[in-house]
Amino acid sequence: MEIRAHTVSAGKAEGEAVVYNGPFSFLGDLNPATGKVPVPRHQLEGTSLANKVFVFTTGKGSSGGDFAAWAAKANGNAPAAIICLESEPVLSGAVIITGIPTVDRPEKNVFELIKTGDYVKVDATRGIIEVEGK
Amino acid sequence: MFLTDEEKRMLAGDHGPGIERAMDLLVKLGDSFDAEKLVPITYGHISYDFCPEKFWNLMTEGVSKTAHRVTTHPSFSPEVWKEWGLPLADKWLGEHERKLKRFKELGWLRTETCAEYLLGIVPRQGDIVPMGGSCMQVANNSLFGARVDRMGILVSLAAAVCGRTPLMGLLLPENRHASHVVELDDLDVADWTLSHYHCLGYYIGDQVPGFKPVAVNGLPPNLPFDFARALVISMPTSGSVTLGHIVGTTPEAPTLEAALGGKKPEHVIRVGKREMTQTWERLNVWDDDHVEHVAFGCPHSTIDEIGRIAALVEGKKIKTTLLIGASAPVEALARRQGWADVIEEAGGHFQPVCPSITNPFTRPDIAGDKQAKSAAADSARCAHYLATVSGVKVFFGTEEECTNAAITGRWKGEIPQWK
Repeated sequence: MEIRAHTVSAGKAEGEAVVYNGPFSFLGDLNPATGKVPVPRHQLEGTSLANKVFVFTTGKGSSGGDFAAWAAKANGNAPAAIICLESEPVLSGAVIITGIPTVDRPEKNVFELIKTGDYVKVDATRGIIEVEGK
Repeated sequence: MFLTDEEKRMLAGDHGPGIERAMDLLVKLGDSFDAEKLVPITYGHISYDFCPEKFWNLMTEGVSKTAHRVTTHPSFSPEVWKEWGLPLADKWLGEHERKLKRFKELGWLRTETCAEYLLGIVPRQGDIVPMGGSCMQVANNSLFGARVDRMGILVSLAAAVCGRTPLMGLLLPENRHASHVVELDDLDVADWTLSHYHCLGYYIGDQVPGFKPVAVNGLPPNLPFDFARALVISMPTSGSVTLGHIVGTTPEAPTLEAALGGKKPEHVIRVGKREMTQTWERLNVWDDDHVEHVAFGCPHSTIDEIGRIAALVEGKKIKTTLLIGASAPVEALARRQGWADVIEEAGGHFQPVCPSITNPFTRPDIAGDKQAKSAAADSARCAHYLATVSGVKVFFGTEEECTNAAITGRWKGEIPQWK
């Protein structure tokens, strides 16, 4: 199954999906040393985002999201690709600087169509999401 | 995106590799938001210490002194951390000094604070001030009516280097009207402190999707500056609100109708006693009452705040470590007033550092085996980042409760009885 979306940061990547129906900040929501979500009582607490295709709603939080993304990427602990409903400038800057292929404004409901554990390919340059086996 | 001939030369590398890379980033970011063009900035604000050295070097390579003013965010003081005996201070020293040297070569100003308006660097309404630091972004936008879009720390360096920023988001007047309205249900704010406003802001940030402007209705008119600041700066912690109008207080919100631009709100958020209690509880993440550190100054302290803390600790010895994040000029004023000495004699410290994200006492990568494992804060923003970035247990309460915790080493804070 293919879903069209808008290009935020060009490039291609694929991996297992982690789906979270909420906002995300690289600073605070991702430990760059472990690749895991460290937030107490967070739905994803302890989940690794490293090399995953991370699906969420939008960015949030500190403007330090971009340097935090840089640290995660340098440690090999950044998501492989990102799919979000609507990006915002801190998140967009972070993924452009670190070269994480990212799309937003998907034309179908990704929270219904993509489940955690699905294998997903993201061609952000062309704006195409492919969910394997669906 | 439309580029002037000069901008095309910048992008082509005619002005050196740093400007070429910075322009490339601004153009890609602007294109992804369908920005029509770049616009000149009134001044810029960056963070050299938060910037990875490799990125800093890439963006500033070949850049000469800029004609426009550039200021900077809270800084690190690894040489002082070393004097305090924090075991990993050394590893921060070299990079800090190399970047600071380059910063000075560029002719930029060492303001080193997230609250430059306390130094007299106050944007006028309509000024275009791209900056890193979501707490000063939201303060300059909301409290002074500057045009500041949401932007990352690294992108703000690109804007400072080029003296330009994409015309997008909150730079466009039509995007500045509130889409979400907050109404207070049955909450009497007469005895609210800074922490109460922090708590409200933290709740609001969590409730507004994306970074849509919000208008808070129903607070007393001409809300004191410190309360207005506490309210807006906690919003981009739990969410991404970058413009928070306060009806009757902030310049673009003389009335609710003006804040909404004559439109109907997309959504009304109602806040009552239950929401405030839940948020206050959510900000408290601890199991036993043992407090090892107390942090003030998120955002950087005002002189009044320092005066109040000095009065509470005067003649006492504190049991925890205590850090007040403050700019050097505000600290200098506190020293002339005698308050800085009072706080230091009690055992407290001043630093122009961010006491939330790079608190040297709670960060395991600075304090090493001397890391404080629990910390108290009167700012929701500070509590949030101490818990998530430093990974320590966090107590959230009022300035007085936090100061008492510093003196006794125990937490006696309570959930407020909302009136």
